[in-house]
Amino acid sequence: MIAVVGSRHDRVALSLVDRWAGARLLSAEDLVSPGWVWSNEGAAPRWVVDGRTVDDRDICGVFVRRGAVLADELLSIHPDDRAYAAAEAHAFLIAVLGSTAATVVNPVGDGALADDAVRPDRWMAAAEQVGLTVRPIRLSDRPRRERRLQQRVVEVVGERAFGDTPERWRRGAVDLVGAAGLVWACCVFDGSGRVIALTTAAAPSEEATAALGALLSQTRVGA
Amino acid sequence: MTAPRRVLVWGDEDDPPIERVASVLADRDVDVVRIGSALDDVGYDIAIAPEPTGALEVAGAEIPVASIDGLYLRPGPPAPARMPAAAALSALAGCLRGPVVNRPTAGRSNWSKPFQTHLLAGAGFRVPETLVTTEPAAAADFAGRYGCVVYKSVSGIRSIVATLDGAAHDRLELVRNGPVQFQRWIPGRDVRVHVLAGQWFATAVDSDAVDYRYPSHEGQVAMAATEIPDDLGRRLVALTRSLGLLLAGADLRVTPSGEWYVFEVNPSPGFSVYEDATGQPIAAAVADLLAGRGWPASPAALRRRR
Repeated sequence: MIAVVGSRHDRVALSLVDRWAGARLLSAEDLVSPGWVWSNEGAAPRWVVDGRTVDDRDICGVFVRRGAVLADELLSIHPDDRAYAAAEAHAFLIAVLGSTAATVVNPVGDGALADDAVRPDRWMAAAEQVGLTVRPIRLSDRPRRERRLQQRVVEVVGERAFGDTPERWRRGAVDLVGAAGLVWACCVFDGSGRVIALTTAAAPSEEATAALGALLSQTRVGA
Repeated sequence: MTAPRRVLVWGDEDDPPIERVASVLADRDVDVVRIGSALDDVGYDIAIAPEPTGALEVAGAEIPVASIDGLYLRPGPPAPARMPAAAALSALAGCLRGPVVNRPTAGRSNWSKPFQTHLLAGAGFRVPETLVTTEPAAAADFAGRYGCVVYKSVSGIRSIVATLDGAAHDRLELVRNGPVQFQRWIPGRDVRVHVLAGQWFATAVDSDAVDYRYPSHEGQVAMAATEIPDDLGRRLVALTRSLGLLLAGADLRVTPSGEWYVFEVNPSPGFSVYEDATGQPIAAAVADLLAGRGWPASPAALRRRR
């Protein structure tokens, strides 16, 4: 089974569930439902996906479409307790994704999910490491006029790159995504080939969706 | 004559670690720029690439980013309207080319205690048997297997660690509402180890309380400086470095038979309580680091440490 970790209100997550054979949505409510067992002392780990308990060994791949578990999603929890329950569910999700033997896209690196795990200080350092030039990000509380930038996107799944861009940008994007500890991401360049952003917030393209589906449905190591 | 070093200290004056580090730095003629958690007198116009450039404005004074040699931060949450300023300062803290104690993204594993336990075990440390579950029967099995079990929060939200006594057993059905973390109770003596740039300060904590941070419930707390095995200290230094931290507060327990367990690594330790009890110069060591002592000057060395 492929578990798509996302919200019931996330149309991209729902479309991926439809697209990938055997995929199911793992919602915020699943994280606060009975059935989870996760231990470091031998008890067989169990997930709750789409309201059903699933043995960890039956999960081959996980696609993460959320950066956090939000309090407002936990409708089964008393409103006064939702913020705490969301923090606990989020922390638990990190633990599960960080220790399962299933393929997780993107992997939990230092304890954060989605774009929270790819903050500029991290991806810029990775870009520097692989020899890419980055376009400075300006953070200012002073009024300024936004400049419209020409943007070209390279989407990476593992060692594969998608997007109509020069080959060296594609190679650079693959190197950058790998150096950032990711499997799938969109690398955004400006017209000069400088990296503007590395993001996992976009919807995967058709080609990337197919590549991700193949990757996530592979039999897990040791199964 | 070289200009004095300038260190940014971001946090509130009533936070003892913030106040102590700022005080030691000032005593050493470091130019200390204070920023409170409210961020109400802070402006910013910076660029990161990833080398940061630009300037902050603090209490009306312009502070070029290039003039900031180090940063110590333990801020409380800002007002919603000041979140962009907090985000800008956090980004700066992530990119500053000098000692930052600690970079905001480092040590995020502490947000998820079982995730950090997994990392600690992977690094070769002994950790307690742990179960996180929403299944009452699994919790009951675990408790039955180990006899004495504690439960605590899964996230970094502070909770009082408590033993699963008879009354709590009766409430196990409630785990159906959300994940709860259970751990085998490890008998022994608590030891807090503050790890800082290659050195460590160990404090033994004797208490009757299950969670010594809350002694008024069950007993008193006595703290004293202690020694830990050199090999353990070196491994904690390596762990701290691998987590991207310059300062960490590691919570350990040594059993009567001499086995060392590591429970968690706090990336923003409130070390002043331990300093008060032992006289260990932790604030001074943090200030030393921020003032440039022991900080590698070469970019290659800097990259290795990040």
